[in-house]
Amino acid sequence: MKNGFRQSMAWLHTWTGLLVGWLLLLIFMAGTASYYREEISRWMRPELPRSTVDADVAAERAITFLQHKAPQAESWNVSLPDPRNPAMRMFWRNPESMVKPPAEGEKRRRRGGGRFGDATVDPNSGQEVAARETRGGDFFYRLHFDLHYIPVLWARYLVGFCAMFMLVAIITGVITHKKIFKDFFTFRKDKGLRSWLDFHNVSAVMALPYHAMITYTGIVTLMFMYLPWGVSVAYPKDEDAFFSEAFARLADIDTPSEGRAVALPIQQLLDSARAEWKGADVGGFTLYHPGAANAVIDIQQRDGKRLSVDTPSLRYNAVTGALLEASPAAGGATQTRGVMYGLHLARFADWGLRALFFLSGLVGCLMVASGVVLWAVKERPKHAKSGKIGFGLRLVDALNIGAVAGLPIAFAAYFWGNRLLPLQMAERSTAEADVFFYAWGAALLAAFIWPKRMMWAWQLYLGAALFALIPVVNALTTHAHLGVTLRSGDWVLAGFDLTMLAFGAMLAYCGLRMQRWQPALSAAGKKRQAAAKAQQHAGAEVGA
Amino acid sequence: MMLLAITVSFSAFTALSLAMDRHQADLHGKAAATPTRRRAWRWLGWALLALSFGLCVVDHGWAAGPVLWLGALTISGILIAFGLYPFRPRWIAPLAWALPALGLAVTLFAR
Repeated sequence: MKNGFRQSMAWLHTWTGLLVGWLLLLIFMAGTASYYREEISRWMRPELPRSTVDADVAAERAITFLQHKAPQAESWNVSLPDPRNPAMRMFWRNPESMVKPPAEGEKRRRRGGGRFGDATVDPNSGQEVAARETRGGDFFYRLHFDLHYIPVLWARYLVGFCAMFMLVAIITGVITHKKIFKDFFTFRKDKGLRSWLDFHNVSAVMALPYHAMITYTGIVTLMFMYLPWGVSVAYPKDEDAFFSEAFARLADIDTPSEGRAVALPIQQLLDSARAEWKGADVGGFTLYHPGAANAVIDIQQRDGKRLSVDTPSLRYNAVTGALLEASPAAGGATQTRGVMYGLHLARFADWGLRALFFLSGLVGCLMVASGVVLWAVKERPKHAKSGKIGFGLRLVDALNIGAVAGLPIAFAAYFWGNRLLPLQMAERSTAEADVFFYAWGAALLAAFIWPKRMMWAWQLYLGAALFALIPVVNALTTHAHLGVTLRSGDWVLAGFDLTMLAFGAMLAYCGLRMQRWQPALSAAGKKRQAAAKAQQHAGAEVGA
Repeated sequence: MMLLAITVSFSAFTALSLAMDRHQADLHGKAAATPTRRRAWRWLGWALLALSFGLCVVDHGWAAGPVLWLGALTISGILIAFGLYPFRPRWIAPLAWALPALGLAVTLFAR
C-alpha cells in the first residue's frame, strides 16, 4: 500500500481491475450479446417462421396442437409469439404415471426427471417446426453468469466475486480520476500511454451511469445466493414460502384434476385479462388440468411496458371464466428489486433503447479491455530498461491477447459452428458451445506461446475475417441470407448479418492500427536513427 | 421523438465541450475562448441537456425516459470524444446544427 488517499485508491483500482479483468471481459461481452438474445436465437434457427399471426389465432392453434400432442398433461404452458420471436414456444408437464423410469446407467439428465415435454410451433400453420438443435442466444445469457464446464454454484460465486471487484474498481476509479470534468471529452490520439489512459477514462466516464448500474444490479439479480442468511433466519423451515410471498406470485396448483368439461374459448379468456389490465398485452398462459372440470388458467402480462421484471398475472376458472385470483401487489422492497432486475435485463426496452443498452455494453467491453492493456503499456518501460521482459508482464500480455483479441474469435466461431455443424448431429448444441471454447482455447494457447505485437495483429485480423465472412457462410448454407432478408424487410435477420460485417470492419481497423504502430522512440533512439539516415545519405552521394 | 432527444443531447454536449478552453481552442483557436463566450456556451449546453431530458420523458415516460436520456448522453459523448474531436473536428459544429434538425424532421414526418 502506498501513502496518501489517492495513491492507495489508485493502487486498489489497478489491482482489483487487473485481477478480474479477463473474466470480466468475457462476462461483459456475453452479457452485451444477451441484449439481443432473442434475435440471436432467431438467426441461429433459420428454419423458424418469419411472419406471425394475431395473438388470439396463435393461442387457439396452440391449444389445438397441445390437445393432440399432450392430452394427458397436467399443465400446458404457452409463450405467445411477439415481434421479436415469431414462433410459439410451449412446454407441458406429464403426470407421474406416464414417466418411464430411466434406463439402467442412464443419467436423469432432464429437469424434473423427464416429466416435461416441449415444442416450437409455427403460429401460421399450427404445426411443430423442425429447427436445428441450438441454444442460440441463451448460450451467451447463461455464459455471462453460469460460465461453462464448471458447476453453476461455483460459477455464480466467481461471477459475483468479479462483479464486486468491478464495483470497487468503479468507485476507486472515480476517486483516482483527478480531472474527471476537465478531461470529460479529452482523447489525445497517437500519444502512447497518454492515449490509452484517455481512452480508458473517456470510455469509463461517458458510460459511468451504465457501468455502475449494470454492475450493481448484476449483483442484485443473485442477491439471495450471495446473502442467503436473512431468508433462512426468517423462514427456517420453508424458503420457498418466502419466495412466493415476497414475489407476489400465484401459487402453483397441485390439486388433482376432476371430471371432464369443455373450457371456454381461449380468445374469451385472454380478452377478459386484457380488459382487466386496461388493454395491456398478454405474453402467455399456463393451463392447469386441461379438459377437466376444474381447469384453471393463469394469464401472464407481456413484459415490455414496465421497468420491473415482475410481471402481473391473473388466474381464471377456465370453464366458467370467473376471475379467481390476481397476483397481489408487490411490497416496496420487492418492487425495488424488481426494477433493478428489470434494468439489468432491459426487457422493457424498445428497439432504440435496446440499441443504446447494447452500445453502452460495448463501451463497457472497451473500458475493461483498455484497462488491462493499460497495465501492460505502463509496465513495459520498466522491463525495457532492464532489457528483459519479466514473467508478470509476459503473463499479462498473453492473457490480454487471448482475451481482448481472442474472445471475438470465439464469438464468431460459435456462429460458424451453428451454420457448419451437421444438422442431424447428436448433442449438437453442446458441440456448438465446444466450438466456442476450442476457438478461445486455441487463441489463448497461441498468445501464451508467442505474446508479441504481431500476435495481436494476427488475432485481430482473424477475428475480423471470421466476423466479416459470417454473412457469406450464412448465404451459402441457408435461405435466410441478406439477399432475401433485405428484400423482404426482415430487419432482425438482416441487422444481424450487417452487425457482423460492422464488427469485422472494426476488428480489421484495430488490427491495422496494431500492425502499423511504431513504438515511441527514446531520445537516444532518435539520435541513432538520425545518424543512420545521414550515413545512408552520405553513402548514396558517394555512390553517385 | 427518440431520435430528436438523442440528437439534442449531441448538441448539448457539443456546446458544453465548447465551454472548455481546450476544445474551444481545438475548433476556433485560442483567441475565441473568451470567458463571456464560454459562459454562453455553458448556459446553452445545460439548457439543451434539460431539453433532451424533457424530450426523453415525454417520449418514454418517467420510468424509462431517464434511462433513455443517460443512454443518449453516453452515445453522444462517445461520438464526440472518440470520433469527432480527434479525427474530424471540422464536422462538429455543422453536425450540432444538422442532427437536431434531422431529428425534428423525422419526428414531424413520423407522426
